[in-house]
Amino acid sequence: MHIPDNYLSPVTCAVMTAAMVPVWAFAIKKVKKELPKAKLPQLGIGAALTFLMMMYNVPLPGGTSGHAVGGTLIAILMGPSAACVCVSVALLLQALLFGDGGILSFGANCFNMAFVLPFAGYYLYKFIRERVKSKSGEYAGAIAGSYFGLVFAALLTAVEFGLQPLLFRDAAGQPLYCPYSLSVSIPAMVIPHLLVAGPVEAAFTVLILAFVKKVSPDLAEPLPGKKTRGVWGLLLALVCAAPLGLLASGTAWGEWGMDEIAGLAGYTPAGMASGFSFNALLPDYSVSGLPEVLGYILSAVLGTAILVIVFKLIASRKKPAGQH
Amino acid sequence: MADIPQWLTRPEPYEPPKDRDRFLDRSIVSFVTLLSRFRSQSALERDLLWVSPVSKLAAAVLYVVLVSLARQFGFVYLMLAYAAVLLALLPARELRRCLAGAFAAAALAYLILLPSALAGSRYSITMIPAKAFVCVSFVNLLSRTTRWDRLTGALRRFRFPDLFIFVIDITIKYIALLGEFALQMLYALRLRSVGRNRGKYGSLAGAAGTLFLKSRAMSEELYYAMECRGFTGEYRTARVRPTWRDGVFWALNAGLVLAYFALS
Repeated sequence: MHIPDNYLSPVTCAVMTAAMVPVWAFAIKKVKKELPKAKLPQLGIGAALTFLMMMYNVPLPGGTSGHAVGGTLIAILMGPSAACVCVSVALLLQALLFGDGGILSFGANCFNMAFVLPFAGYYLYKFIRERVKSKSGEYAGAIAGSYFGLVFAALLTAVEFGLQPLLFRDAAGQPLYCPYSLSVSIPAMVIPHLLVAGPVEAAFTVLILAFVKKVSPDLAEPLPGKKTRGVWGLLLALVCAAPLGLLASGTAWGEWGMDEIAGLAGYTPAGMASGFSFNALLPDYSVSGLPEVLGYILSAVLGTAILVIVFKLIASRKKPAGQH
Repeated sequence: MADIPQWLTRPEPYEPPKDRDRFLDRSIVSFVTLLSRFRSQSALERDLLWVSPVSKLAAAVLYVVLVSLARQFGFVYLMLAYAAVLLALLPARELRRCLAGAFAAAALAYLILLPSALAGSRYSITMIPAKAFVCVSFVNLLSRTTRWDRLTGALRRFRFPDLFIFVIDITIKYIALLGEFALQMLYALRLRSVGRNRGKYGSLAGAAGTLFLKSRAMSEELYYAMECRGFTGEYRTARVRPTWRDGVFWALNAGLVLAYFALS
């Protein structure tokens, strides 16, 4: 999911970095409040752990393997703000020292993997854990959080790629950066994450969490914090959509076709919203004429429905146990 | 002398059932590659292509920005030639590694963009792989010719907070330390996985979970060790002074910026 340089325009990179600045400021402020100043070495070691988690190859069906990201896991174990700082440092080192992910696209990579992934994953985990107060509730939260956190981040990466040919073309109409529009980039990124990378991430996360809880239960205690409210999904969707809005506003002074923007960018917020919030999945979204997008939205509907079904089944299993 | 019992003389061929555990080999390879990268950089006695790390870092960012902004192949070609000259100055081992990374990035870009080229987008297929090659070459030149502690020291000059540099320094050291530990666990898992391992995910999660617990223990030890030495949460990094070579280098960079405007 690391975006290299030259696939996103420098303008997009600047916007994504600008969007990341308040997030970093918030995360550092929160971490400083939660962590005593002298205990800050923990952050460095947490970042090293984050870096190494991405190096484990996890078995996939058919004897192949892929690697997990572990962003939600780090957020569950260390808190989302600490995870944001740790993943950002790990990404910086990957870009600067290993040439993995671009230097200009560092802000965009941080937005996707250090902000959206751990925060979305963690709050979904917390949301479920608070409502299903049992061990299975916690694990269901970890599975759903890590799965959807990763898929959200992949979706966002795809949207960033997909906006490039709409916004940045030369005089001859040739795309200057990533040439694939949203209708190609979204299915190409989201479907493999829905089907393969997401389940791998969820399995890796829940098994490590179970291991840590078994071996050292005091370390895996839930972090103290305010109870999450139902509006978190909406807020998150708004936050994530904000920099995209900035990008779309650039159409007024660019050299691209307005009709194209109106036709394609029009559905983007709908796609975003359905990816980020339960309540936003209304049936009246206009998807006519865009079969790939329809396919993606259907996948999101299916994924969310499965989540709700699992959630309900766990809750209903818990009730009879409580009555006995 | 007692006779050897007959059961001891009988050959007992044991063929463990074959298992698909490439994930273990791959994990081991990725950790070994990572650790060898750490060793090779700490073995650098002095920085190659000597200008100050501050200049190198600033120039690498400048080059990436210029190449990303460039719309004419002429400028990208100029930067390609410049990168080639710098690469040619490296010792063969470092050169090979820099080139491998750059070629991999260019090949990946080519592969990704091939369908769009078939659909008629000629600009992307020529520009993006070339740009990717140039950018990755410059980043590799930076990280392969400079010791990483000097590179983090250079970040100080860009007004990065001390706390941030402190966290990065610790991260680099502990990637190596925790990486060694993770590798030992993977070797142990490899040795114990004879025949079919039915709990692949479980064993891998155990190794990764232990790594987390180890990281917690290490961070406590580090904190106590630092506190014993009088650490109060303040961290200062040493400054590196620029020399006349930096002056020459920045004159060259000014020339490249002018060339960017002349060629676009």
